[in-house]
Amino acid sequence: MPVTIIIPTALRQYAGGASELEVEAKTAGEALERLVSTHTELRKHLFNEQNRLRNFVNVYLNDEDIRHTGGPDTALKDGDTLMLVPSIAGGATTEEELATLPALSNEEIARYSRHLIMPEVGMEGQRRLKAASVLMIGTGGLGAPTGMYLAAAGVGRLGILDFDVVDESNLQRQIIHGTKDVGRPKIASARDRLSDINPHIQLDTYETRLTSENALALFRDYDIIVDGTDNFPTRYLVNDACVLAGKPNVYGSIFRFEGQASVFWAERGACYRCLYPEPPPPGLVPSCAEGGVLGVLPGIVGAIQANETIKLILGAEGALINRLLLFDAWQMRFRELKLRKDPSCPVCGERPTITELIDYEAFCGLKPQPIESEPRQEQAMEEMTAPELKQRLDRGDDLQIIDVREPNEYDIAHLQDSKLIPLGQVLNRMSEIDESRETVVHCKMGGRSAKAIEALQRAGYSGRLINLKGGINAWSNEVDPSVPKY
Amino acid sequence: MIKIAASLVERIERQAEAEYPRECCGLLIGSIETDGRARVVVEIRAVANAWEESATMHRRMLITPQDYMRAEREFSRQGQGVVGNYHSHPDHPAVPSQFDLEHLAPWPTMSYIVVSVHEGRATALRSWELAADRSRFVEEEISKGS
Repeated sequence: MPVTIIIPTALRQYAGGASELEVEAKTAGEALERLVSTHTELRKHLFNEQNRLRNFVNVYLNDEDIRHTGGPDTALKDGDTLMLVPSIAGGATTEEELATLPALSNEEIARYSRHLIMPEVGMEGQRRLKAASVLMIGTGGLGAPTGMYLAAAGVGRLGILDFDVVDESNLQRQIIHGTKDVGRPKIASARDRLSDINPHIQLDTYETRLTSENALALFRDYDIIVDGTDNFPTRYLVNDACVLAGKPNVYGSIFRFEGQASVFWAERGACYRCLYPEPPPPGLVPSCAEGGVLGVLPGIVGAIQANETIKLILGAEGALINRLLLFDAWQMRFRELKLRKDPSCPVCGERPTITELIDYEAFCGLKPQPIESEPRQEQAMEEMTAPELKQRLDRGDDLQIIDVREPNEYDIAHLQDSKLIPLGQVLNRMSEIDESRETVVHCKMGGRSAKAIEALQRAGYSGRLINLKGGINAWSNEVDPSVPKY
Repeated sequence: MIKIAASLVERIERQAEAEYPRECCGLLIGSIETDGRARVVVEIRAVANAWEESATMHRRMLITPQDYMRAEREFSRQGQGVVGNYHSHPDHPAVPSQFDLEHLAPWPTMSYIVVSVHEGRATALRSWELAADRSRFVEEEISKGS
């Protein structure tokens, strides 16, 4: 269909002097392609060597930037008007701003020499790193390598936020913490390690959970936020707070052998909600504690996050904006998905419905239903604590113990006389569970066993089923410390 | 070459002094002649420096596409449009920086005026154009009409 392209004054000489041209095209991309194939001199002024629109070229469709309407794929209607407009950016190396960057001491120059000799970093880039501030959410598997590399790179101010305590099971991957740190607050141990790596940087520590109440105030004080969290409520909270505070969110996530990384920056592209508008139903995606994770995987993904953070500070091209990197450590394969900003995104779209931080536990379906809601049809699940189970067993009560974990977990530790039926096989093997006996079901921490009980009851199992609260880990904590925890 | 009235040059200098020590910026309005080698400037449009508002780290927009589009529209009926831009370098020479080269300069048909301001006084005003291969700025002659 015929559409009009308005040519800016500065480009008219490449378009035969015309101020506007009519082309036939179905999409914005097609219209531009038509334009430059008729007026070939225009091509190099609009497109770069990779045949992508130059950064400073904006295309407006009836007053709207096509970046917000689907980019080159934006559909055109009869009579639409496209306008080519440059944005004129400046400032990075205006001398005025350079003068405000902190200077480097001779010690720092010696320390960063491998950066300084590369023109992509140089003195200016290193001073930018020194002037930058980055807040890391979490000092776990992802935060460990990210923090260590950002500290080593000389990021001037690093904020680290964590509420957790170093546990033995962290050490397989969270290389910022050591054996001597078990039982210490993670931020204390992380602070020691980071200040040892680089005494020239400032470390701000926050021993707290990130909440809807504190997130915005915290984020405002930093240039970049790095998401190293392991759960959906916090991930949505980090995303929304970044959008509202106008900060880039350097995202990473890991599970078993697979990792993801991206840079969500609403001012420049898609945010996390453009990619995942809704969280998965609770329990569908297991956590690393349930599903496991290869220790080196967060090392790789966290290093990618550090890399992207440094590039954002240096103003490098090729950041992971509008790109989702997928990594499979088992196949040793990287893949990349293109992302688009969603114009109807509830937080960064054109008509946002989320304009302040919400209750993310509730949003992710993790809050118990309020009592006044309709009474549930099913009866409440029966539960038993580890000491109660111990008491009953000691009394010689006849209890059938079903372990719904995986065989490799069973090999690590199991309760005496328990029967292994992994969660995935529970329904097929229902007949192996004796309905006439009182039955205790357990897993590692109590989540999977609850699912197994629900599934069995729905499938018509009529015997008595009791969930072991806190799983075999609670047994180890409260009854028998000789049972290893994992 | 750029043709610009002395009165317009003066307005640019006054604006640069008024904004000091902040950087000022604006658009040059007119027509392009002689196959893109000459700009005839008939008007200037000061543009609010979008610098502070959108300061996300180090890359800052000086002139937004909206401002550019508005100026193009406003003057299109008179057969004029945006033919260049100007900005000030407070306490630094009237020479474009490397970053200016990479980001400030869309197209070789345009003029890029840089005005140097020292201690609040405009001390030098020079105009530049982008080499055809986009590799550097070349100083151009300023022909001041009345």
